[in-house]
This record gives sequence, structure tokens and C-alpha cells, in this order.
Amino acid sequence: MSRRPGVRRLVRFLVSLAVLMVVSFAMIHLIPGDPVRASLGPAAPVELVEARRAALGLDRPLPEQFLTYVTGVLSGDFGTSFLTGEPVGEVIVTRLPNTLAVALLATVLALLAAVPLGMWAAVRTENGRNRGTDLTFSATTGTAVAVPEFLYAIALVAVFAIALGWLPPAGKAGPATYVLPVLALATGPAAMIARIARVETQRELGKDYVRLARAKRLPAARLHVRHVLPNTLTATLTVGGLLLSSLIAGGVLVEYVFAWPGLGLKIVESITQKDYPVAQGVILVYGAIVLVVNLAVDLALGALDPTSAIKEA
Amino acid sequence: MGWLRRNVPGAAGALIVAIMVVLAVTGPIVWGEAADRIDAGAILQGSSPGHPLGTDNLGRDLLARVLVAGRFSLLLALAATLIGAVAGVVLGTLPSVLPARAARLATGTVNALVAFPGLLLAMFTAVVTGLGARGAVLGIGAAIAPGFARLTQTLAARIAGADYVSAARMLGVPRRRILTRHVLPNIAEPLILNLAQAFGGALLGLAGMSFLGLGVQPPQYDWGRLLFDGFPRIYVTPEVALGPAAAIALAGIGFNLLGDALAKAAARTSEARGQAAGPPAPGPAGEPEPGAVLEVRDLTVAFPGGVTPVRELSLTVAPGEIVGLVGESGSGKSLTAAAIGGLVPYPGRVTHAALRLDGEDVAALTDRELGTRLAMVFQDPLAALNPALKVGGQLAEVAVVHEGAGRAEARRRAVDRLGQVHLPEPAALAARHPHELSGGMRQRAVIAMGLMGTPRLIIADEPTTALDVTVQRQILRLLREVVEETGAATLFISHDIAVVGELCDRVVVMYAGRVVEELPAGRLVTGAAHPYTKALIASLPELDTDRDRPLAGIPGSQPGPAQVGAGCAFAPRCALATERCETERPELVAHDPGQRVACWEVK
Amino acid sequence: MIIKNLSVRFGRFTAVDDVTLEIPDGQVVGLVGESGSGKSSLARAVCGLVPHTGSVTGAPRTQMVFQDPYASLDPRMTVAATIAEGAGAGEVARLLDLVRLPAELAGRYPRELSGGQRQRVAIARALGGNPELLVADEITSALDVSVQAAVLNLIRGLREELGLTMLFISHNLAVVRYVADVVAVMHRGRLVEVGPAEQVVGEPAHEYTRALLAAVPRLRR
Repeated sequence: MSRRPGVRRLVRFLVSLAVLMVVSFAMIHLIPGDPVRASLGPAAPVELVEARRAALGLDRPLPEQFLTYVTGVLSGDFGTSFLTGEPVGEVIVTRLPNTLAVALLATVLALLAAVPLGMWAAVRTENGRNRGTDLTFSATTGTAVAVPEFLYAIALVAVFAIALGWLPPAGKAGPATYVLPVLALATGPAAMIARIARVETQRELGKDYVRLARAKRLPAARLHVRHVLPNTLTATLTVGGLLLSSLIAGGVLVEYVFAWPGLGLKIVESITQKDYPVAQGVILVYGAIVLVVNLAVDLALGALDPTSAIKEA
Repeated sequence: MGWLRRNVPGAAGALIVAIMVVLAVTGPIVWGEAADRIDAGAILQGSSPGHPLGTDNLGRDLLARVLVAGRFSLLLALAATLIGAVAGVVLGTLPSVLPARAARLATGTVNALVAFPGLLLAMFTAVVTGLGARGAVLGIGAAIAPGFARLTQTLAARIAGADYVSAARMLGVPRRRILTRHVLPNIAEPLILNLAQAFGGALLGLAGMSFLGLGVQPPQYDWGRLLFDGFPRIYVTPEVALGPAAAIALAGIGFNLLGDALAKAAARTSEARGQAAGPPAPGPAGEPEPGAVLEVRDLTVAFPGGVTPVRELSLTVAPGEIVGLVGESGSGKSLTAAAIGGLVPYPGRVTHAALRLDGEDVAALTDRELGTRLAMVFQDPLAALNPALKVGGQLAEVAVVHEGAGRAEARRRAVDRLGQVHLPEPAALAARHPHELSGGMRQRAVIAMGLMGTPRLIIADEPTTALDVTVQRQILRLLREVVEETGAATLFISHDIAVVGELCDRVVVMYAGRVVEELPAGRLVTGAAHPYTKALIASLPELDTDRDRPLAGIPGSQPGPAQVGAGCAFAPRCALATERCETERPELVAHDPGQRVACWEVK
Repeated sequence: MIIKNLSVRFGRFTAVDDVTLEIPDGQVVGLVGESGSGKSSLARAVCGLVPHTGSVTGAPRTQMVFQDPYASLDPRMTVAATIAEGAGAGEVARLLDLVRLPAELAGRYPRELSGGQRQRVAIARALGGNPELLVADEITSALDVSVQAAVLNLIRGLREELGLTMLFISHNLAVVRYVADVVAVMHRGRLVEVGPAEQVVGEPAHEYTRALLAAVPRLRR
């Protein structure tokens, strides 16, 4: 193992990526029975099934299939859709940006709204003062966390698109169409981050460096922003990073509600329609995004936290 | 009722969960028939008196269907939770059973899986096992498992590293018995608590799968499936989506709030209750004592519930004088320091007849005056420095904030002060982070921070307790030097009477929140009068203690800050105690010159 | 009991570096050193709790008492159950008596005990294992002085009564000197000086021992 933490993380990332590749390849072969038959239905003529199997290379030995799969993926060839004959790679390229845009906007929104809220709540309820605020904050965020994103999405559509008619209910056409999906996706994670930011801030407020800063009679704003905030960010951003990958997954449901032309909608369609090459390709891409996000968070934290180099050793 | 008021969210969660359980048991029995009754004349209707939530494409009543679907929804979630929990616990215990290499592999697998969003894992499983309730339950179970595995692993690793497990291993307790007697009982509680939250997560996950059409398939239905059917109709009759959506949201909230409350209840240590009787009204402030930098009169610190860790404490410190405040844990010495520094945490209440710095009431001083005149040093210098900021910046801050110094000027002064406390290469050091310094260097940096202003009072709370003796010696020397240079009054708090005796000019001994004796440090060994002070000194093994005689020790233990009675707090442990000591508290009275003692038996 | 050429390594870091030390039967050897000197790693190695190279011979049964009395007892086991784990239920009363604890404490849980009482329970548990060697790792450093005195007296009493062989580890030289017959000084993973207690304290041979002695705070008499 390398002593450089960055290198070690990179190695771990590559190993995970390789495993992901094996798993996504295995998916089609784990489906009980014949995936082609399952996809085309019992009425399809034998010749068609055989032809499709041959086209997919399913009649060749497994190792050879895997090799073809890997070289294909590495050169951007993810196979073709059973249903439309479209190359899966093309589907991914056109739809991925839509998914990422919503997820990123939601992450940024959640962090910007939640971190100050969590810090404020922590300062206000330090050592158990202001029980009212404590109770309101806990109950509100506890409730907000527990409502799934697709219910937020449906509620937002019902209120702002249907009842009030302020915003478009579905589809992607211009900036206004982003508002509801991003809000639906950001609300739950924002509540989660606010809770974490509060816990982290509370922990920091109890530490001696805060006591010392208070003994120095530093103004409250300076104490909280310059001293406490940087020390809460590590944990908050770790969670924020993990949330980004769960936001990408949660995006599936939100895209479904808003008929948003992203990968999420595509994966639901492909699974329902048994379009396995598409499902396989999209799952692989989702998995890879999660790995990349986690790697990025790890590296960013390593750069951000002056003590992490020591902790790793 | 008090419990309920403090746990409104938890109680609400418990209530919702209870309703859900009742619904699951009775729902199909009561409304089962209505839910399946096909009515060709009432197809796809909106809300009406007969069908408050409308009807579906076969004219079946949606309200009844929502109420009936509760059982299936909860059962599926239960199944998924159990699958996930069992798989997770097994996966999580593997590393402690397998040989090292396989254990690492298991840990690595769990770590990799935890990072993957549950829905993705669930979809993958659903593809492989086919659409339907079975696939969804397996998928969500698979999605829950990694989290449980991680939790089990973390908890088990913590317990396995505990001293009591080491002790059991040395006693020859077999591995399996250690697992069943020590590890499992100690990890069971947090794991079980986690079930409530996992259940909520499973319920929402299954609802999501069904809502996407990937979960429950007709003719079966759960809440998610009802929402799937109702969703396309929200443009025309939004109320048909309301029922299942509300049911899902309510269930999610209920289980989450309950889980939260359970986790909080487990984490909470016994909390003091009741209201404070209120500290006694302090006496008149009187005239400032001439020549005293710090003057404290009748200082009391009280917490709710009659907890009074510091009681009517008075002391003065002259310029250039180091006064040692010594006592065992729980004597109130550190809270005294915090009270003087204005750092007593909520809900503590500080009252005093007088608290003066340089003859001025501390309350009347501005932040700027206090921030530059008061220096504090704490026990753990690593905790006292902000890990995220460079040492130089933390020092310079005082000059920037309170004295309006420019960045360059403040920095120059910071480097100068770091040099003043004999840190090598102060300029380079100022650019480092605290974790790059050794313990002794950090404590020097904290002292240097106190020197950034013009310190009149230094409060040092156990400043050498976390340090090695050789480093302690250097820090004590530095403190002495700083006091001589600045002429600051110093209050030095320590549990170690030998350190106090060596460093200080005067010693104040605290017991159960009160001063029991005050005397010149040089006379500790020969002139101590209070039985507690004497016993403390006799308990201390020194390098020339007679090894053939037992140390004195003190039987019993110090009363807690809520348990001090009317008499002398030390009486129950005191060999000289009489009846009077039990009932009547001795005042601190002059004994010898420079010495005051609170004891009836000292004449 | 002889510790021979014992080394403990954590990755690239050598915590204990080739230590050889004899602990004569029925004697207390005091091991003193500052934080990071490797004294606790040595203790754990002697008890077989950390991997090490070198040999420990002559004490097949070793028991240990730990520093933190709040972490060393299973919070879910009563005093009696804790002690009985090594000694059997029949021995509980005798062992409690041996560490000068009243018999009615047997049914209590650790959270109901004071720090000094917990440490006595930990000692009773260790004695229940019938050890040829008892390792005490900083057992009084978490205690107040007045309580420490009673525990030190107990240790000395046990040595007299049972002829206990013991490795007594502490950062406090005065404490070590008070209970130990032989004092060993550890610095950066190595033993720098070993000798009879009075000799090491009275006529230290090694420079580091002298520095350590000079740093010990003393009351002015």
C-alpha cells in the first residue's frame, strides 16, 4: 500500500470501478431464464430470439463475452437498446447532463440553506437553552427528513403547477422547469444537513478553543464564522458528498414525477420494458458517478482538513 | 407529563406508529370488502360523499383501499427490514470471526456497498429477481443491509477494543462466550434502536419502488402502487393521490420521529431535574480592596436542581502574585475559574457580591478591555487551539479585533510573543497548524496568546496536567517568568498539591465548593491546619516518603454538589469531627498571619 | 519471569525496542516513563494483547489492571458476575474481602461505584485469574490523590499477603518508587536504567533518569 493517501484512494477507486464492471456485466446473466426471451415475450418467434442472442453475443463463452463487454464499455460502446435499437452510449450522453444538473443544483441549494440554519439552531440552543427552538427545529427537520422526495415532488406539482399554475408541471424547457425538481430533491437532504450541521456545531461550541475565544471576548459573528464554521465543514461536507450520490439516486423518482428527460426516467422505463442493455448501461453509469463523487469528496476533504494527512498515517 | 413535554416529537411518532399498527391489524377486516367491491357505475370518480377520495378504474373506493393497503405495506417493510438487519448483522460480525485477510475483504465490501444509494441496489436486485413484491422486498433488504453491517462493525470493533474484553480474554474466557456475554449485549441496544429508523426507510423505499411501477404488481396493492395508479390522474382529480401520499408520509414521519426519540433516549445520561432553590443573595459589594488585581467576594455558581458546585467563595490576588487553587475532582475549582472568566455554561447561574479586576467591576468592563486584560490557559492545549487555523493567525486575532491593529502589525506582534515564550523559529511556527506542534509547544503558544494584550490577570486551569513531567517543569518555569515580566496576577488551578506548592505564593484549598483553608505555599507542609489539607498532603507519595508506612488516604468520598448539608462538608470523612461539625458550618477565620482556616477543631 | 528482547511495532513505528527485563518472583517491578515511551505497549505485549517479537517466559498466567476504571468493567455485568468470570462464583466473597470491599457491593453495577471502588473490582477480577504476574498499567492516574493512596496501600498489602509478582507501570516516579522494589526507566521504547528503587531514585545513573527526577514536583519542607 502506498503511503500517499491520495494514491491509495485512487487505487481503491479503480478497484471499485472494476468490481462495478463485473457486477453490471453479471446482471444480465443473473436474470433467471433467457433475458432475450423474457424481453421479447413468449410469442416472439424462435428465429428472432436466436438472432437477437447472436447479435448480443450471448451464445459465446462467458470470458469472451466479458472481454467484449469491457472493451466495449472502455471505448464508449454500451450496446444497443432491445426496443429502439439506439446505441445505449448515445442515450447516456444525451440524458446524463439533465440528471447531473438537477442533482448539483439541489446539492448546492441544500448546503447553502442548511448549513447556516443548522449553525443558527446550534448557537441558539447551546447547552439546552431555548427549548422551544430546539423542539421546533427537531420536529421540523425530523419530519422533513422522513418525507420521501417523490411526495415532495407530487405535492409541489399539485400546489404550484396545478392549483396555482405558477410553474410548469413537467418536462424540461427553460429555467422555470428546473425549479420544482430541484426543490423536491433538495428539501429532505437540506433537513438532514441542517441536523448534522447543528450537531457538529454544538460539538465544536463545547471545545476549549471556543472557550478560549470567548475568554478573549471575540465578537460572536467572528467566533462562529471564523472559528467554528471551518471545523464543522469537514463532517458536513462528508455527509453532503454522500448525499450527492443519494440525490442522484433520489433523482430517479423525481425525474419520474416531472417526466424529466434524465437517466432516472430512462432506467425506470428500461426496467419496466425489460430493455436490459439500457438498464445495464445506466446502472453502470450511476454506479460510476457514485464512485467518482465519493473519490472527489475524499480528495477534497484531504485537501481541506489539515489534520487528515496525519490521521491517514 | 414532564417526559411528554420534553419529547413531543417522540410521543407523536409513537402515536402515529401505534395507529399504523392498529390499522394494519384491523384494516383488511373492516374495509376489506369495500376495497374490493367493483362498481361499474362509479369508475374513475373524484371526491364525492360516497367516496371521499374517489374511485379507481374499476369503481373501487380509494379510501377503503388505502386503509386496507396499510397491512401489506407494513408487512413488506417488516420483511425487508428483517432481511436487511439479519444480513447486515451477519455481514458486520464476519470481520471479527474470519481470519485477517478475509476480514479485511468483508470490511472493504461493506464500505463499498454503504456508499451506494439504496435505491440503486434495490433496482439492481429488482432487475435480477424480476418485477414484483418479492423483488422489491429483496432489493430494499439488500439496500438496508450495508448500513446495518457498518453499524454492527463499528459497534463490535469498539466493544472488542474495550478493556473489559481484554480482561476477559486474559482470564481465558472463550471467544464465543465473550461474543455472547460482552459484545452482543453491549451492541444489541443501539442495533435494536436502529430498527425503527430502518423500518421507516424500508417503508419509503418500497413505496418508491411501487410508485415507479417496479414493486408491487396488480392485483396486489400497497400504498406505493395506489399512488402509481393515482398519479396520472392528479391533473384532473388530485384527491385520488392524496390518500396514499398522506399514508406514506405519515408512516415515514412516525417511524422516523420514534426512531429519533429512541436514539436520543439511549444517548441521554441521567439529567438533573427540578428547579433551583436559587443561590443565596450575595452580601454588599463593599469597597474595592486596595492593591488587589482580582477580587472575588461571595462567588456562587448554581445549576438547576439545587446543584451548587461553588459556594460563597472569596479570594484576592495581588499583582505579580500566583495563587494556587487546589482541590480534588468535584471540588468546584474549575468552575470557579470559569466563573471568574465569565465562561460558566448555561444553565449555570453565577452570583457574587463583588467581582473586580483592577478595582473595577468586571460587568462594567468592555469586551475590548476584558479581552486584552484577561489571559486564560486550559488543560489540553490541543483542544484550546483551533485546529483549522494557523497558530500565528489565532494569536494575531486579539490585536486585530480589540486593538484595531493592521494584519502586518498584528502578525509581527504574534511572532514576537511566540519568541517571548521561547518557541524556536517563531516566524516559521506562526505559519503552522496546531497539530504540527508538540504538547509543550502548544501550551507555550496558548500562553503567548494571552500575552498579545496587556494581561493583568492570568487564569491557568490545570495547564500542565496533560503534559509530561519534564515538559510540565518547563511550562511552570515559563509561567513564573511571564508573571514576573508582566506583573499579572495569576490564579493557578490544579489538583496536584505538589505542583501548587512548588509554583505558587499562596494556596487556596477547596473542598465541596468552599474554601477550607488559605495559607502561604511555603507553609503547606509544616503549617497546614485544616484536617483536609493535612490529609491531602499525607496522601501524596513523594520521593522521600517512608516506604514501610502506609499512605494516609482519606476514607469515603467528596459529597456531590447537590448533597452538601448544613454542617462541615468534610465532617463525614474527618477523624476529628464532632457533633457540632455535622450540624454547623465553620466560617473561614484568621488563623496565623496570612492563613485562614474553616474548622471548628483548629484552635 | 523474564522478558527477553521484546519489541512491539505498529507499522513503521517501533513502540518498544528490544527490551529485556527480569521480574523476580514475589517482587514488584516499577516501570516509569513519559507518554509515548512505550510502557503501555510493553504491558500489553507481556499480557499478549498486542503482537510482538521476543519472548516472555516464566509467567504462563498474566492478568492486567487497566488505567481507566470507567472503561475496564462491562457496564452490563454486576460486580459479582465480573469477578466470577475468571474465579468462579464461589470465590467472589473472598476476593471482595481481599481488596477491602464490603460484600454487599457484589450485586451492584459499575455505574453505581466510585472510581476507587471500580479499580478495586478490577484488581479483584485480575486476582481471580490466579496470576503468576499482575500487570498494573497506570491504575491510579485517573484517581484523586486521597483515593490513590488507598489503592497504593492495597497493592502493597496484597504483595505482603499473597507474595504477588507484579509489573507496576506509572508516569509518576514517586508513585512507582513507593510501591516497587525494582524501578525500570523507559524512554523512547528502550529501557535506559534498571535498579533497586532507592538506588535509581537516590543515585540515578542515566542522564534521562536524572532529568525525570529533577522534574518531579516537590513540596517545600
